[in-house]
Formats: sequence, C-alpha cells, structure tokens
Amino acid sequence: MLEVQGLQKRFGGVTAVADGALTLREGELLSIIGPNGAGKTTLFNLISGLEPPDAGSVRFQGQDITGAVPEALAALGIARTFQHGRVFGNLSVLDNVLVGAHTRLRAVKPALPLLGPLLEMALAALRPPAVRAEEAALRRDAEQILARFGDRLLPRLHQPAFSLSYANRRRVEIARALALRPKLLLLDEPTAGMNQTETAEMQEVVADLKRSGLTILLIEHKLEMVMRLSDRVLVMDNGRRIAEGLPQQVRNNPAVIEAYLGHRHAGAEPVS
Amino acid sequence: MSAWFDYTVNGFVIGNIYALLAVGLALIYGVANLVNFAHGSVYVVGAYIGWAAITHLGTPLPLTLLCVVVVCALVGVAIERIGLRALQGSSRIAPLLATIGIGLVLDQVVQLVWSPDPRAVPMQVPEWRIAIGGGTIGALDLLIAGIGCSSAAVLYGFLRFTKLGWAVRATAQDSDAAQQMGVDINRVNMAVFAIASVLSGISGLLVGMYYNQINPAMSFEATLKGIVALIIGGLGNVPGAIAGSLILGLTESYGIALFGTSYRNLFAFVLLVAMLLWRPNGLFAPRRAAAPEPMVGTFIARSLPVKLPRWVVPVVLLAAALLPLLNQPYLLQIGANSLMYAMLALSLTLVAGTVGQVSLGHAALLAIGGYASGLLALDAGWPVALAIPAAGLITAGLGTALVWPAFRLTGHYVSIATLGIGEIVSLVILNWTGLTRGAIGLGGIPPLELFGVDLGSVQGTYWLCLVVLVLLALLQLRLLSSHLGRTWRAIRDDSVAARSHGVGEDRYKALAFGYGGFAAGISGAITAHVYSYINHETFGASLSVLALTMVILGGMGNVLGAVLGATLLIALPEAFRALAEYRILIYGVVLLLLIRFRPQGLMGTV
Amino acid sequence: MSLHRRSLLLGSASLGAGTALAPRSAGAADPVFVGVSGPLTGPNAQYGAQWKDAFDLALEQLNPAAQHKLQYVFEDSQSDPRQSVAIAQKFVNDARIVMELGDFSSPASMAASPIYQRAKLVQFGFTNSHPDFTKGGDYMWSNSISQAEEQPTLADYAITGLGRHKLGVIHLNTDWGVTSKNLFSAAVQAKGATVTAAEGFLPNERDFRSTLVRIRDSNPDGIVIIAYYADAATIVRQIRTLGLTQPIVAVSSVYSPKLIELGGDAVNGVHVITTFFPDEPRPGVQRFVEAFRAKYNRDPDTFNATAYDTMVLASTLVNQYGPTRAAIREGLGKVRGVPSVIFGTMQFDQTTRRVEGAQYKRLVVKDGRFTLFTGGTPS
Repeated sequence: MLEVQGLQKRFGGVTAVADGALTLREGELLSIIGPNGAGKTTLFNLISGLEPPDAGSVRFQGQDITGAVPEALAALGIARTFQHGRVFGNLSVLDNVLVGAHTRLRAVKPALPLLGPLLEMALAALRPPAVRAEEAALRRDAEQILARFGDRLLPRLHQPAFSLSYANRRRVEIARALALRPKLLLLDEPTAGMNQTETAEMQEVVADLKRSGLTILLIEHKLEMVMRLSDRVLVMDNGRRIAEGLPQQVRNNPAVIEAYLGHRHAGAEPVS
Repeated sequence: MSAWFDYTVNGFVIGNIYALLAVGLALIYGVANLVNFAHGSVYVVGAYIGWAAITHLGTPLPLTLLCVVVVCALVGVAIERIGLRALQGSSRIAPLLATIGIGLVLDQVVQLVWSPDPRAVPMQVPEWRIAIGGGTIGALDLLIAGIGCSSAAVLYGFLRFTKLGWAVRATAQDSDAAQQMGVDINRVNMAVFAIASVLSGISGLLVGMYYNQINPAMSFEATLKGIVALIIGGLGNVPGAIAGSLILGLTESYGIALFGTSYRNLFAFVLLVAMLLWRPNGLFAPRRAAAPEPMVGTFIARSLPVKLPRWVVPVVLLAAALLPLLNQPYLLQIGANSLMYAMLALSLTLVAGTVGQVSLGHAALLAIGGYASGLLALDAGWPVALAIPAAGLITAGLGTALVWPAFRLTGHYVSIATLGIGEIVSLVILNWTGLTRGAIGLGGIPPLELFGVDLGSVQGTYWLCLVVLVLLALLQLRLLSSHLGRTWRAIRDDSVAARSHGVGEDRYKALAFGYGGFAAGISGAITAHVYSYINHETFGASLSVLALTMVILGGMGNVLGAVLGATLLIALPEAFRALAEYRILIYGVVLLLLIRFRPQGLMGTV
Repeated sequence: MSLHRRSLLLGSASLGAGTALAPRSAGAADPVFVGVSGPLTGPNAQYGAQWKDAFDLALEQLNPAAQHKLQYVFEDSQSDPRQSVAIAQKFVNDARIVMELGDFSSPASMAASPIYQRAKLVQFGFTNSHPDFTKGGDYMWSNSISQAEEQPTLADYAITGLGRHKLGVIHLNTDWGVTSKNLFSAAVQAKGATVTAAEGFLPNERDFRSTLVRIRDSNPDGIVIIAYYADAATIVRQIRTLGLTQPIVAVSSVYSPKLIELGGDAVNGVHVITTFFPDEPRPGVQRFVEAFRAKYNRDPDTFNATAYDTMVLASTLVNQYGPTRAAIREGLGKVRGVPSVIFGTMQFDQTTRRVEGAQYKRLVVKDGRFTLFTGGTPS
C-alpha cells in the first residue's frame, strides 16, 4: 500500500534522513522505533508532505505521491497525528473532529477554480436540506469516533481544546485523524506524556483500529506497546534503517541493542 | 552618466539615514521577536529632547547627545517595563498592538509639550562639505554613516563578547531555554529596548539637524521606512538592516530617476512586498526549514466568548432602529459613521480574528470600494443602488487577488505585507491619474439613493447602513456556524495541522478575503457617496490601524464584538470632544489599558 | 509659549463657546456664533492653532463696537472627513450657529459640504482652494486665494521679473499642488516659456536630492517651488547642497517667517510672491500686524491673515445683514468692500463664489529677511 524508497532530507549541514525506505501492506501495523534524533518524525513529515524530500520516492496505492502537498495526501486518505499534539486550541472537541472530516464534505469537492469556492460559500450560507443532513451525519459519526475513548471526551464535546488535559488533547488528535476515514494512519508517539493507565487505554484503542483493518504506521518509544501491537518493526538510527523484521527478531538484533545503548538518552524506557 | 553616479550617492545618503532606524528595529526584533511600531515615536522624542537641550540649555553636541541618550534609554526601559513585560504569555499579536498604542501616546505627548509646529534644530556639526559628483556630502552625512556603522560594530562586539550580550543572543535563540539556563530575560529585554531606543533617539536628533527641521508627525514615516529596510535585510539581522537600508535608499533613488518623484514610495513598498514573497527571511539569511511546531492556540488570547442573555441583541437592535426618532442628527451621524466602520470591522474580524491573517492594510479595501462605486456612478453613470453592490464585488475580487501572493506568509509577515499592499493601493490611486484623477480626487459623487428614493439625509444614511450592517452580520454569523467557520478557525489555530486534514489554505483564505473584501468594499462605497468627495488620502493607513483596534477591542473573530468595538471607537473620540487636544492621548491610553487587562477583547475571542 | 498653550485651551469647545474675551456690556444683544471645524490635533494641528490666534485677535478688536457680538465654537476635526461630517451635523443642528468656517483640508471640507448644503448653512472654506469646493452647492463659499489668479502671477515673476524661460517645477502631490502646477504650466506656456520638468512629492517626504538631480538634468534656468513653507525650507537647503545655483521662485504659501527659521542661510535669495506682507505700508495691513505683534509677540503669516480676514468678514455679515443663516447667505451675495488684509477689499464673484483681486507682492529673502523685490535680474 505504501512504498518508500531512498528518501533523503538535509537541514543545513545536518542529514536528518539519509535513506528512508519501507513498505507497508494493507491492514498491516508497522512500528518505527529508534533513539531520539534518529529521523523518525522527519520521515513522517516527508511521507505526509509537510516537507519535500531532497531525493527518493513515495508511492501510495501505486500512485507516486513524492513531494505532494499535505492537503492532497489527506484527500487520498492519509491521516496523521503529531509528535506534540497539534489540536486546534480554540475549537471545541467536536469541531476539532469535524475538521478531520473536512475531505468528506460534498461542498468542498474541488470543482471549477473560481466557481467551486463560490459554490461552497453559497452552500454554507444557504444550507439546503442535503447539506444539513450531511452535517448531522458527520456529527453522529464524530461522536461515535469519540466514543472510542470511553467517557474521556464525550462529556467535553463543546469545550475548547485548550482547556483539555494533555492526554485528552492527544485523544482528540487521533479522533480527528480517524474522522478523515483514512486508508493509512500515521501515528507519531500517541502515548507520549501519558501515564500507565492512559497508555494501556491508548494501546487498546490502537489495537482496536488494527482489528478493524486499518493500515497503520506508528512511531513509538514504549517498546512494550510496540511488541504487543506491531506486525513488523523498523529500527532507525542516524537517519537510516538499521533493522527490520518481526518484533521478536528485532528485539534480539545486536545492531538495535547497540544503537539504543549507544544513546544514553534514548527513549527505550517508557517516558515518565 | 554623472547623473547615475549622483543618484547612487543620493541613494546611499538617504539609506544611511534609514540605517540608524533599522538597526534598532532589528535588535528589538532579534531579541523580543517584535516589530516595534513605537520606534519612530522614540525617534521623535529624541529629536525634540535634543532640540530642547540646545535651545533652552544651550548644550554643546556631546552634552546634547548625552541628554538624548539618557532620556531615550529611560523611554526604552519604560516601554519594556510598563508597556510590554506584562504581555509576556498573552497572545502573540498583543505586544505588536501595544507598540502601536505606545507610539500613539508618545506622539501625542510630544505634540502637547512642544506643539505641532515644525522646529529648526540648530546645526552642531561643522558645516564643511566635500564635492562628490554633481553634489556634495557634508560632515553630518559622514557622522550619520559613522554612527550607523559603529553602532552596528559596537552592537556586534557587545553581543559577541560581553556577558549581557551573550544573554541577549541566547534569548534571541530560545528564550525558554535561556531562562532555564539562568538568563534574566527581563533584564535582557530591558537592555535591548534601552539600546534600541537610544539609537532611535540619536537618529531623530541627527536627522533633525540634517534637515534642520523636526515635527511630531514625522514618526510614522520613520517607522515605516525602518520596517521596510528591516525586512529587506532580514528580521533581527543587525548588519543586514544596514545593507537593507542602503538597498532601500538606492531603490528609491533609482525609482525617482526612472519614473519620477511621485513613484518613490511605490518603489519602496513594491520592494517590500517582493522581498517578503521572494525571501521572507531577508537577503542575507539562508532559506530556513519549516517553522517549529507552534504552541497550541497562542495566536489569539484563549478565552470563551461572553454569553449575552437572549434578549440583549434584539433589544439593542430595536433601540438602534428607533434611534432616528430621537431627532438628534449629530448622534445619528455618529451612529451612521459607527455602522460604516462596523462593516469594515466585520471584514477585518473575519480576516484577522477568524482566519488569523492580521491585516494592517485593510483601509485599502475601503479605498477600492469607494473609488469603484464613485467611478461607476460618475463615469459609467450607474445608479447608486447598483454601483454600491458592484463595488463590493469588485473589492472582493481585486482585494483577494492583491493579497493572494501573501497567503503563504504567516504571523508578523502577513501584517507587514498587507501594510505594504495597502500603501501600494493608495500610491497607485495617486499615480493612475487617467482612471482615478490622481491627487485631485473624485468630486461630485452622487448622494445615496435607492431607485429614486433619496437617502442623502442623515436619517436615510443611518437606515441604509443599519440594514446593510445587519444583513452582513447575519450572513457572517451564518457562515461562521457552517463548516466554513470551523475550517477558518482551524487554519488560524494551526495551519499545518489543518492542511494535514485536507484543508487547502489558499482556498479558505481567499474565501475569507473575498467575503471581507465585499463587506469592506460596501463600507467604502457608502462612505464615498456620503462624503461626495474622496481622494487617495481619505482612506489612509491610520484607518487600517483604527480598524484593527476595533477588532481587538471587540474580541478577535467576534461579530458582535466588531460592531461594539466600532461603535465605541467612533463614539469615544466624540465623547472626549470636551477634552479637546487631550482626547487622542486618552484614546491611546485606553487602548493600552485594554490590551493589558483584557487582551481577549470586550466580547471575547471566538 | 505657555501663553500660547493657554489661549488654545481657552478656546477649546469644553467651554462650550470658544473665546469670549470681550466683557459683555450691559444691554448688548445675545452673542452670535459661528462654528469652526478644523484641526487642533493630528498632523495639521498647527494650522488650527494659527486660526485661533487670528480669530481671537479679530474678535477682540471688533466685538466691543459691534452690535452683534460674535463668538466661535471650535470643534477639532483633525482634518479628518469622518469627524468633519459629525461636526457638520452638530453645527447644522445647533440653532445658535449662523455660519460655518473650515475645514482645513479639501477631503474634510468637501465630505461635509452635502450636509451644510442640505441644511442651508453657509460653509466658508477659507483654506479650500480645490477647484471643486465651491461647486458643492450655493452654500459653499471661499476667500482662499484662487490659483487661477496666483499661478499666472508666479509665472510672470519668474519670466518677466527674473528673465527665466526654462523652469523646473517641484510641487506637492496633492489636490492643491497638482491644480497649481497645471495652472502654472499653462501660464508659462502662454508666455512663451517652457517647464522643463515637473516633479510631485508626497507630504512627509524629507529627502529631495534625487528629485533635484532630475530637475537639474532638465537644464532649467530657474526653479519653481509649489509647496508649503516647511517643505520649501528643506527643498531649498537641498537645492543649495547639491550645488544648484539657479534662482528659486515660490508660491505664496511658502511665505512665512518660519521659512527663514527652518531654511537658515540657504533661503537667502529665494523669491516668493505673497498676498500678505507685514512690512507693506498699507494701513489695513499695518493695523493687523501691529495688533498681532502686540498680542502674540511674533510676526503673523498668511494663514493668520486669511483667518483674520475671514472672521472680519463673518462679523461684517452678521452686523450688516443680520444674525441668521439666511441673512448670511444673502449677505455673501451682496456684500462689497469688506476690509481685508489679503485683498484690500473683498467681494465675491457670484458664479464662482470666490474672491478675486488678491494683491500680490514680490519678495526676496535678503540677509535672513523678506524684503520687497525691486526688479532687475539677481546677480
């Protein structure tokens, strides 16, 4: 489903990603692990179009998407979350999730260059029954997605996101990504900053998503979770893949152990 | 070819003067991450302190300079301590507005103390001159260049080799980290404001001597040119600021050479906008990687909108509708003015508040609307009732097209780019004599009428404005409650995250500017028909600032807040009328207090 | 200076009714009011201050002997159309006010014109030289100097007075400056001379060096300045700094004692035309100048003189035709021979609603003083 080959990215003199390569099959969960600064997030940014790669290629469902802009990738069904949680602070929880469903709105489907936006504005102002029904359906859908997190978010539907706890903001982010109905979900450290109970809950949510058949690319530091969830694991260090395979294989790979031991501050242990 | 040599020399001479301003601005931006709009006002303070010292105390040059240094350093410290320190941690836009307010207050104080009359500053520098090309260069030119370069050199040394300088640089790089390393950020900021203010004050004095003339109104132009030079050199880049100033001086000079004097500022602002688009980090910075992730929702103050009881809006609306029955035409005229500005504020609150594109050139939309409607009525003979909506549509299209290239900018860059675009519109109106009649302006614009019904009376104007405003406000509220509203606000809160969820920024920014252009264009068109005469100065840059103040006062993005803000800011100066010349000062102080104590605005941000 | 500030404050609208310095004598009729809309704050504030000085002086002289004592209500407009229209509504609906004076700038005045016209209150825009101002309606009148009259006079000074035939013009790029420049160019052509270059600058510009290089390279034998005194002082200094030695001729708005203060030695030899010159022996001028010097301890300038003339006119109209709006309007059509510092005597052209026949003097700056120019080409 996703094929990445030879991706490269340099910032100034620093090479963040030297040779990014991975393949991901439909319905699979691939975890990327590696010490801090290994280039995991940069690789994510390259795949999701936030930054153009200096070299290499990305193919999604057989289509070349190298260097495509993020909004185009979202339209293809790629959704992502961010390392530090980028929710829309002044929007309510519900609105955050609804923004995630943006690409599903009929009104925003690109039409003629000038008429498309004008039509969209007219529909927003007039709101004929079809538009209202669509909005109501999206709302129900959003609430269903939020229900995945039990009663963590449902009672806070209309609270602005800035008033939420850190963990709840991370949950909103995942809910927002799911509202896109993604074919491919990129999760960047979904449990960062969470305590054990919260981590366990999140692990359950991700496992659930996997069971539903969603293809997932996961960056995660908490190895226990990686071992439990992943079909395969890819290990990065210094911008390169140093190992790849089944979770158990990778765990015992000497190069991986070396990479982790070589970095004192590696996030091999669960954070906090 | 000697003329080209002369143009080059002249470009350097004026660039030299801009450099003194730009260096201070660059320093403040570098450390406090702030474009200091009060910089020109400190420049004026410096000029007047120097003038007062020479004329009243008879000080020689070193003593005059000392007076300026001491007073301006104190002013700088006061700006940082009183005006800005309290705003740390509030929304990003608050300090920028605070500097605008501080500038307003300083200008008014200078004007009250020393009167608006221009003053001659006695020359205290030897008057020998060197012939160079067709012209001459004097001792003062060299002194200014010397001070510009040596202050840059001293600053460089200070930043590189002293402990405080090290702290300043650390703060500029990452103020949070610096704080954790034990740097006293407040002390650093204070030192920087003091140094920058001293530079600004000295340049005010020297430029005053140079032209043998100072007046309180020279601050705006000084700030503007300083900012243009700063952008060319790269925000926060001190040596770049000097180079940027010289480039600006040369561009202006060559612009005059090629096209004539009236194109001078047009060149300056076109250069500004081109730089922002081409190399937003300045000529001398490498193109940077993507910006770091922003903190959540720091753009506007976090707040919940004020919830009014249900009955309030209908009751106020009813009262507004019945106002003409009081038969108080003066009150009604203020009401009509408020309504016209409320339309502008609606437009800006959408663009700046809801979408987060803080425009400092919004008055240009009024100008486009006013000229479009006026010209349609005068030259094409359209009835007023058709000309006004047509002007709204023209403004929507033209306004959006003009800002389109700036859509990829963020933060301060948007403000500065829109400021530049606004100035360009005004200058094009001035120079496109064939269409706009240039400086003569549009006279005899027909009064308001609706298919034969005369609305030229103050009652008629008021009714029309009220109806139009209510319609625009309802439409805007309707759009905000739709998917467009949340999409716009998502772009404002985090454009990267929004894009990652399929929100095409350009499309939604264009829709916001289009709708905003329509509302502002209607406002400008109505204004043109009420005034009967407009020229390129009718909708000047100060109106853009006024409109932004209205929006902040009401609460960014808040429709009712925009109307309230417009009403208050139009009514307040009238209410303060009894205070005569103190009223603008009081207005400035009220503005500062508001930013300090209620940054989310009266009605709260949405 | 403190006295100056105080007089400003006294005149402020906070007292509701401007300056009423003359003690009210028993049996005098109730005072009659004129409204003044003009800048007391903002970038043009100095002009409002100059008006006040002249108004106060005029009223002090006229009121004791007048049947109807005149007072003024000064509202600060900042010369901003938004505020001048509100002020217009205020004046129009203040039954005490029989005539309006101002505003200072054309945009501010002309925006308010429809309101005055509708209410049939005379708007007397005494600084509004914009050709369209009095076209706003039959209640718009002005005694501002007609540029159609001034510019040919200026051209005559440069061409026949100084023998210059190739003139480089530098002008303010505003409605006033452009109108003036166009009229000047036409007058120059009519006299068979040429304008070699015409450069328009924006208000607030301070650097003219490159503009002057353009002018220099058009090879003029004389330079003409159409600007106000503050800008003119800067321009002249830079002309001399650049080493240009051609004679300089300037319009009447350049005439001000401030020109010498701001221009220093550089303005020696500058020629100006003026409608007002304090050293002119004419008794009307001398009475005004002496009284002004006695009250304010400085020389008046053209803005003072125009404002003074205007208040004298207002008092004359009220006392001659009656203290009503209709009487003022009617009086403006009939009045003749009103004493004037600028014009000698004032009467209005019924179609243009402006005054003609300003008396121009030719002056040259010599050793830091304005002196009457007595002919001959300068050395």
